[in-house]
Amino acid sequence: MQPSNFPTIFSITESELDLNDLLAKITLPSTGAAAIFTGMVRGETSRRGSTQAKRGEARETAFLEYEAYVPMAEAKMKQVADEIRERWPVVEGIAIVQRIGKLYPQTPTVLIACTAAHRDTGVFDAARYGIDRLKEIVPIWKKEVGPNGEFWVEGEYTPKPGE
Amino acid sequence: MNHIKVLLFATLRDRAGTKSMEIEIPDSTTVQGLKDQIARDYPNLKQAMETVLISINREYAFDEAVVPQNAEVAMFPPVSGG
Repeated sequence: MQPSNFPTIFSITESELDLNDLLAKITLPSTGAAAIFTGMVRGETSRRGSTQAKRGEARETAFLEYEAYVPMAEAKMKQVADEIRERWPVVEGIAIVQRIGKLYPQTPTVLIACTAAHRDTGVFDAARYGIDRLKEIVPIWKKEVGPNGEFWVEGEYTPKPGE
Repeated sequence: MNHIKVLLFATLRDRAGTKSMEIEIPDSTTVQGLKDQIARDYPNLKQAMETVLISINREYAFDEAVVPQNAEVAMFPPVSGG
């Protein structure tokens, strides 16, 4: 398959993420490696900086509620995929999918997967770059709801001109 | 005058109590001018205008940019997907 035909999937969905189906869609005859990142909802969050937080110190999360500015989010996901291809031309397939709506602990919320012929091609870095950029420029927000009320999670990144 | 649609997301929508609004702005208004007008006309959004991110026709837009005719503008806080 020619690089110009390499599969690129980017979408916002309210449906359950089907990791196997997404992986199959970006697997080519020449693919020998896939780096798959998926994030999920944490039911409890330790206090920042503590690796030994006792159960009582953890913050509990009932669910996260995600929303997106869908047409812009999908355009920005495409841009992230383009950036990955520019930096790692050996990457074959790319999938970037964010689930939105009410998502409960232990549920996958996002998938970034990159495939390549071999594992030593930078494919791990490519997937890492994808999730980092998604968190910077793709217009998606989440609200955390728990026993102590609800609050919006705000990002820290301010996009620059050209992003 | 320029008639634009402003979409609001996350904290901006909560503060405004609406998902979108249609507003009139003078021709050649910049993003900064639009933020000033909204801060003046919508007191609930005044504080948010200091840190808000803005897109015009689904691309990030910055203070000096002029808002085009019939633009689709969106206002939202820094993103938190993943």
